[in-house]
Amino acid sequence: MHDTPLPSNVRLGPNSVITGDYLTRDRAFRLFRSRLDPGLVVGASCTMDGVMFNAGPEARIEIGDHCYFHEATLVSDLEIRIGCRVVIGWHATVIDADFHPSDAAARMADAVACSPLGGGAARQPFERRPVLIEDDVWIGPNATILKGVRIGARARVEPGAVVVSDVPPESRVLGNPARVVAER
Amino acid sequence: MDAARRLPPDWHPGTIPDNVVADPTAHVGTSYSFTRFRSEEPGGLRIGRAASLGDLTILDVGPRGRVVIGDYALVNGALIICDSRVTIGDYALIGWDVVLMDTYRVPFDVALRRRALERVALGRPRRLAADVPAHPIRIERNVWIGFEACVLPGVSIGEDAVVGARSVVTEDVPPGAVVAGNPARVVRYRASA
Repeated sequence: MHDTPLPSNVRLGPNSVITGDYLTRDRAFRLFRSRLDPGLVVGASCTMDGVMFNAGPEARIEIGDHCYFHEATLVSDLEIRIGCRVVIGWHATVIDADFHPSDAAARMADAVACSPLGGGAARQPFERRPVLIEDDVWIGPNATILKGVRIGARARVEPGAVVVSDVPPESRVLGNPARVVAER
Repeated sequence: MDAARRLPPDWHPGTIPDNVVADPTAHVGTSYSFTRFRSEEPGGLRIGRAASLGDLTILDVGPRGRVVIGDYALVNGALIICDSRVTIGDYALIGWDVVLMDTYRVPFDVALRRRALERVALGRPRRLAADVPAHPIRIERNVWIGFEACVLPGVSIGEDAVVGARSVVTEDVPPGAVVAGNPARVVRYRASA
């Protein structure tokens, strides 16, 4: 039922699909480089439509049952754990690392290490913290979930929100940075 | 558009649905825009005189949804999620990856949402659909919306208003206002308004 051949370290639960359309079907594993086994676990009855699983060598992404993601991007260098019945909207991003150091001098050294003249120089360490998205969370289109964030069960992240800190269960968050707002 | 409702040339192998009414002078970039178009309404999409529907625009329109794009409007790669009505006025400019949504498409009651999600895996194609309220969006004449902005259900944006890039518009915008931020706030009014 899938358009994309699965890497050997991907576990896909019964009745789950990793799919896409004319533009998106090839993107799922183009940047999937996890060497862990498993590197990606998807539970049962999930629909991963046009999702990009961008995973570094030490990354693990775990997704529960009955999730529905539409053209979301998951970028992991460490760990992204997502519960059951989570919805992630179009062009939303979940990312668990900075990928470059915040210290200015270290960042300059990292720029050189990444460059064509890097000559295999070691990369500088950067911040990585696991992301946890609990059961029944809804994340709107164009939203961004950054490293170290825990989104409590049944919370609702509005479209375009940039989530930089924990979200309490049952809450609705909006804005950049995302703040808890009243229901409407 | 030819008699078979194809767009020569088109990189995507698809057709334009029968209930799309486009002025002969309008530009429709690709049939890919209609891969999620399920409107059963007569005139489910109306495209005005010399209006343009840019290449990566996606019309995620449910069976009862209707989208109207006014004369000379330019929709340059937006996602339009519509279950009731999305109206884009004449001369409006909509940037890329803008989200215009008149519905959240999911029930906020957790028990109802669970049921909707459990139904998804039974359908083909797999689509999240639930009977949830939709609140029409109106983008009035000559509005300019910057790239990656979001307009939430029920919002109206008044004539001549400007919405900054990546803004999230949660409430109505008065005519002539310039709004920016997430959530969007009025930063000033256009001098000519």
